[in-house]
Amino acid sequence: MLNNFLDQFATLTVGGLSLGFIYVLIALGYTMVYGVLRMINFANSEVFMYGTFATIIVIRDLFGFTQQSEPATGFRLFYILFLCLVASMLMSGILSILLELVAYRRLRNRGSNKLAPLISAIGMSIVLAEFMRILTDSRYVGSPRVMEKKSLGTFFGAELRLDNTIIIVAGLLLFISLSQFVQRTRLGKAIRAVSMNEDAAKLMGVNLNFVVSGTFLVGGLMTGAAGFFYVLKYENTSFNIGFELGIAAFTAAILGGIGNIKGAFYGGIVLGLLETYASFFLGTQWKAVTVFIVLVVVLYFRPNGVFGEAITQTRA
Amino acid sequence: MFNLRDWGAGIWERSGRPVRVLIALGAIAIAASLPLLGGTFLKTPIADYGSVLVFPVAIFVIMALGLNIVIGKSGLLDLGYVAFFAIGAYTMGILGTKTGLNSWEILPIGIAMAMFAGLILGVPALRLRGDYLAIITLGFGEIVRITALNLNSIGGANGIVGIPTPPTIFGLEYTFDNHRLYFWTFLIIILLTIWMIRRLSVRRAGRAWESIRQDEDAAELMGVPTFKYKIWAFVLGASVGGAAGVLYASKTLFISPDNFTLQVSILILACVVFGGMGNIWGVILGAVILGYLPDRIRFISDARLLVFGAVLVLMMNLRPDGLLPRKKREKALPEKGQS
Amino acid sequence: MSETILKLQNVTMKFGGVVALNDVSFEIKKQEILGLIGPNGAGKTTVFNVITGVYQVTEGDITFEGKSVKGKKRYKITRGGIARTFQNIRLWGDMTALENVITATDTHKKSGLLSGLFGMPVSRREERRDKARAQELLDFIGIGEYADRLAKNLPYGVQRRLEIARALGTEPKLLLLDEPAAGFNPAEKVELAQTIRKIRDAGYTVLLIEHDMSLVMGVSDRVVVVDFGQKIADDLPTKVQNDKRVIEAYLGVPEDAS
Repeated sequence: MLNNFLDQFATLTVGGLSLGFIYVLIALGYTMVYGVLRMINFANSEVFMYGTFATIIVIRDLFGFTQQSEPATGFRLFYILFLCLVASMLMSGILSILLELVAYRRLRNRGSNKLAPLISAIGMSIVLAEFMRILTDSRYVGSPRVMEKKSLGTFFGAELRLDNTIIIVAGLLLFISLSQFVQRTRLGKAIRAVSMNEDAAKLMGVNLNFVVSGTFLVGGLMTGAAGFFYVLKYENTSFNIGFELGIAAFTAAILGGIGNIKGAFYGGIVLGLLETYASFFLGTQWKAVTVFIVLVVVLYFRPNGVFGEAITQTRA
Repeated sequence: MFNLRDWGAGIWERSGRPVRVLIALGAIAIAASLPLLGGTFLKTPIADYGSVLVFPVAIFVIMALGLNIVIGKSGLLDLGYVAFFAIGAYTMGILGTKTGLNSWEILPIGIAMAMFAGLILGVPALRLRGDYLAIITLGFGEIVRITALNLNSIGGANGIVGIPTPPTIFGLEYTFDNHRLYFWTFLIIILLTIWMIRRLSVRRAGRAWESIRQDEDAAELMGVPTFKYKIWAFVLGASVGGAAGVLYASKTLFISPDNFTLQVSILILACVVFGGMGNIWGVILGAVILGYLPDRIRFISDARLLVFGAVLVLMMNLRPDGLLPRKKREKALPEKGQS
Repeated sequence: MSETILKLQNVTMKFGGVVALNDVSFEIKKQEILGLIGPNGAGKTTVFNVITGVYQVTEGDITFEGKSVKGKKRYKITRGGIARTFQNIRLWGDMTALENVITATDTHKKSGLLSGLFGMPVSRREERRDKARAQELLDFIGIGEYADRLAKNLPYGVQRRLEIARALGTEPKLLLLDEPAAGFNPAEKVELAQTIRKIRDAGYTVLLIEHDMSLVMGVSDRVVVVDFGQKIADDLPTKVQNDKRVIEAYLGVPEDAS
């Protein structure tokens, strides 16, 4: 088994990395909101799930792909994928903003008990998932194949499948754009200011509601992109995938140190790899258990995650 | 605003001991007569009313009371409470089918197992901050379910069938459809749990939990051994969950991992929050409503969970402290546990 | 006034690159009132936080009654006899004033859960005694009539004093007061000064952080001045007032000199 593992190590690593980037992007949704509001956005998992459906709608209903269609190639493929990405991001981004308006804003402004927003989030999560369940008749929804998952060749013995490669490259680009956004733009700076000290930021004239909506939007956009990548990689979705992926991504966020953007990145990557390797040895049914055991061990020794908290990395 | 809880408590506090005993007995009598009712209005479309009263209602009440110690009293967010329920139920399932022990003998073992699990989980998890605790407990709940699902020696996905009913007592036989007897048995457990919680809440432990819930750092700096009391809350909550599990398995006589999903944890959490965290009566009310309602509103069948979620959101936005909120009045806690 | 009760030896506290306390040493004698002053951000509250175990010192040592408090759990330090109040009031708002004090008095005691559960005589007796003791402390601080009011509904000044009563509830030997007069009017300050003396006369030792100079100078036996994390003076109030470095430290921050 070990030899087998070593043979496949490189290829597993590529698969783990692409799964990792899906986690990274969802984890960003959790981490951004946590950084600003110190609150677990429990319903982010459903935001992700709706993102996956947006991609399928574009492929199936906008471009009319069916299970029998020929996969697209060349520029047309690029065009379709790009539209899917945009659609998923928009769907999730908008949903995320609405979520905050409906489920959190009132509670936040009233500053009521700490658990109330979380319960409200759980309620929203149930509503969103159930709504989709009714729409889809509790069934898995397959995605027609838009793209041949051909191999692009090998790299240090790793088979580079097209979908994995796209996810890794595009995921990295998205992550870099997000970090730049947070570092350089006005909204990004305001987000960091609020996450460091809400009261001080308010005194400096930051419009808190605007910043919070912006945070949910950005988190939602990233989570939506993950939805697109998920469909690209697994070619199906269902009303209940949010839960599993959401929990894993949240674990990733905590692993890296929730509230910390860089932490979401490393947490997601580490978790994606770990899960892939562990599944190889133990079978996929134990992967959730592995993930949680790792989490417990990490938190036991580093209670604030590996990279600590806060969106800025340098808090005294 | 009118506060039902304060109104009720006001009457209670103004009354002398005999009146209190009367009120308590009256309440117990009403509760005990519930399974004797059963007109068409109360009937739920699918399950029979008597059976709904035992499960989910009575079981939910027990679990909600237990979770209330953890969340309502001490402010520890446990999203994996179902784990203790599962451990209790599996203890009953395994020992009941493989040994000659009966339900009453297994009950303390199930409770002990759940407490032990609470300790194992609590020692590492309770050192962490609240949000992490939530996710660790959630993970623990899933681990227990996945383990049950994948261990074929305890039935795997098929679960355990043929769990024995409790032995006959006073000539009363626990048959599968003797809902009244089950209900009365569970009612006794509910009363015992209420007694335990009330006793603890008015004393030292209650104050320690309260201080932890309100400001844990301040509590620690005022000399409260917060870790110790958090572990206690966790373990006591687990014990109640374990008891509920044993009882549940002795009633349904069949358990499988599907009975112990995260949804159960969330439902019980919803009972606690919906009714009013930290207030026993509110929690019971919440559990009764949320246990009964989803079955009653099956006529909107497919959308009932959706409605349920929407109710949670609305509730949190309109009454974030629940239907019967915890004490807000300017009066010291009652001096002695008179219940 | 003889025996040393608390001693800070070359205490340095760093947060990442920021040095909050730099090689600070001083000691407090039994039944002394020691004032700790300094401009905003000088490190006064950090001193409290290292003494009470909120932060672990980077270098140096802190000994209380000859024993180091380093690495001890926070609640154990409190049980050992050091109690504090908070600059930003941190009472348990949903408990009554009396309950706030009882909680500090009794929750660390041994007979806990089980004897409480079964209503054992020991537990009942202790309950009664602790309640009486808590009421006594409220009366001592002069807020006895507020015993049954929820802490969050109390007037501001009473909340500040309740913080002191609660800290005394832990049966400390050393009491750390973090700006107990913040937001007080002159009359209330005079009253507070009397209370602090009364506390000392009852046998406690007091370490006082305060911005109000007249209060500190009036009530303290000795004053330690910190600035930029360093001790710049440690002397009798009258001497400190004329110390050149102290005056320098306070120049340019007029709001502190009020």
